[in-house]
Amino acid sequence: MASIELTDLTKRFDDVTAVDGIDLEARDGEFLVVVGPSGCGKSTTLRCIAGLESPTAGTVRIGDEDVTAQEPHERDIAMVFQNYALYPHMTAERNMTFGMRSATDFSSAEIDRRVAQAAATLGIDDLLDRKPSALSGGEQQRVALGRAIVRDPAVFLMDEPLSNLDAKLRVQMRTELSRLHEELGTTTVYVTHDQTEAMTLGDRVVVMNDGRIQQVDTPQELYDYPSNRFVAEFIGDPAMNMLEVTLEAGSSDPIVRHEAFTIEVPNAPETEALDGGRAVLGFRPEDASIADRGTSPTGSVPDRRRTGRGDSERTTGPIEATVQVTEPLGDTLLCYCRAGDDEFKVQTAPRTGRAAGDAVTLTLDADRLHLFDLETGEAIYHSDTDRERRAATPEP
Amino acid sequence: MGTRDTREIYGGSLGVGRFLRERGLRGTIAYLREHGVRGAVENAREDGRSLLGELRGISVAYLLLAPTLLVSAVFLYYPALEALELSFHQTLFFGGERTWVGLGNYETLLSSSAYHESVAITIAFAATVVVGVMTISLIVSFLLYEVDWGQSGYLIAAIWPYALPPAVAGIVFLFLIHPSIGTLTAVIEGATGLEVDWFSNGRQAFFVVAIAAIWKQLGYNVIFTVAALNNVPATLKEAAELDGIGRWSRLVRIYVPLISPTLLFLVVMNTIYAFFGTFAFIDLMTQGGPGGATNIMIFDLYRNAFEFNNHGLASAQSVVLFAVVSVLMYVQLRFSDERVHYGA
Repeated sequence: MASIELTDLTKRFDDVTAVDGIDLEARDGEFLVVVGPSGCGKSTTLRCIAGLESPTAGTVRIGDEDVTAQEPHERDIAMVFQNYALYPHMTAERNMTFGMRSATDFSSAEIDRRVAQAAATLGIDDLLDRKPSALSGGEQQRVALGRAIVRDPAVFLMDEPLSNLDAKLRVQMRTELSRLHEELGTTTVYVTHDQTEAMTLGDRVVVMNDGRIQQVDTPQELYDYPSNRFVAEFIGDPAMNMLEVTLEAGSSDPIVRHEAFTIEVPNAPETEALDGGRAVLGFRPEDASIADRGTSPTGSVPDRRRTGRGDSERTTGPIEATVQVTEPLGDTLLCYCRAGDDEFKVQTAPRTGRAAGDAVTLTLDADRLHLFDLETGEAIYHSDTDRERRAATPEP
Repeated sequence: MGTRDTREIYGGSLGVGRFLRERGLRGTIAYLREHGVRGAVENAREDGRSLLGELRGISVAYLLLAPTLLVSAVFLYYPALEALELSFHQTLFFGGERTWVGLGNYETLLSSSAYHESVAITIAFAATVVVGVMTISLIVSFLLYEVDWGQSGYLIAAIWPYALPPAVAGIVFLFLIHPSIGTLTAVIEGATGLEVDWFSNGRQAFFVVAIAAIWKQLGYNVIFTVAALNNVPATLKEAAELDGIGRWSRLVRIYVPLISPTLLFLVVMNTIYAFFGTFAFIDLMTQGGPGGATNIMIFDLYRNAFEFNNHGLASAQSVVLFAVVSVLMYVQLRFSDERVHYGA
């Protein structure tokens, strides 16, 4: 096991900068997920760690060693590829042992022992004699994982290992990867474009875009306190709503003014500086709720997914909107609402009979509001103050 | 009950073929015996499918095949049969006058020690050329595939000799390594201490012609091998790098098995080339000499036909040549069936 440290890592391909001077640390034994859209540089970063690409600038350290100039096989790493990269002409067992038998000094007995152990862990005992063409996608991926495990490396690198699997298998393998990491405790860097995978697997998640790191945090922190618009919109499904607003000083709390509504935002520091300024208001679809007809818009928010979110149940509003489209998701009903010229999504309880054309009154969870700078997209403020409290308690 | 089965027969545009594949010939015959052709047709009609439509589909297929079949028949099968017939005759005046001699020509060949020598030389020559071409082109292709800079330049350089017609290539090579005026001759003599005298030294002549034939055929092999290497997923190379597999080990143990279908194809093509396509080199460079050292079968039969005007004997020789190459093809394909890895 080992930590990984990237310092000012840069990779340019001709005139394209794939990775733009990133600093990143994967702690010893950590499951670090790098997530971002296609072309954000996440795979290139991983390949630089593996040694399959040599960085234009910067250093890669694994453990206490600077490995920037080392060949891939000198780095004590194992990598799992999206397309599995199994040798098609070799049996599963041969695939797992080929590298060790041809390029290491391990004894045959030791290799056999490790293969048996890895096969048992992954449940592929019966498949060892088969060639990849006789294995399903999930089985091939297990063999590829087996090949990584038998080497007992300091670091696992995984490049979208689940992307070629069908949806059901992907969820199953995701759980298995979690279990495997718990069992082995090997430092893992995992690249994916799928934010659900990132959130479910990662001890910490690195969000990348345009070759730069946008934020590194635990999944919940990323979700609750996105440091900029990109992270806010990338993490979470359905994505966070973004509305352009004007900020004003209010009587007690500052006021956010939109062409169709005006709401108060609590706990905002330094709003004087923003007075009259333009900003972007962000709130998640599940943090807006449709007030029941006839009740006061400043009532309590219906209890949905509010566990673990402190004791405040303050709301702010009202927002008058019209339902444009509804998408029933089974457990929730997603309403696309329009207020003024802007459209946004609201996740509500199912079976409420909302339909397109309904006029609704919305309230927002006052502790779940975010403001972003209109120009830079940087987060100006999150209305939740729990973060300081959380930050004060040491990490487990 | 027949309805489902006939649907199998007539379903799809070439349903008959599929039915045959699934049941085998015996199964199909058994089925037709049970239901009769008429029954099968009626069942098909019940299914709303037209047997006529099926037949029309098949006739269109043959119509599309017709040009190829016609050309093959006129220029390949007919001359081949004609040659076979000619081989049973003694001839004069380009086959204008023939006398039936039965297996006489074959008996002549069987008892001629010169011909035995020619066969042995041909096989040694073909083996040298095939092994030489395959080995060198595999290494050249691998280097080309791995090089980071200037790949297309190297590729053109490697393929270029193939762009020459064999006769031109033969002349070019003749002047490169001519014993007295060759541009490379002095260099080779200086470097190795050998005396280049392949006009009189049979062993040298054999290798010079073999090298010329190899040199000419490299480009063809490089094109296919580089293309095949480029089809191997890049992640396999990376997996091997991570596994710490050395370069040559990677070539031999990963790439060669993965491109084996292409290599098999090249073995077959190179064999045909070595037996037939090297005629121009022999004709231009050694005339089968010195002392018959390069008198390969294709050249020997050419001389019998067009210099000694013995078309019957030459036809018998070409039939033997055909048989030898056919057997070789069969052995190659049979042998490789177990080793070639398809579906990389």
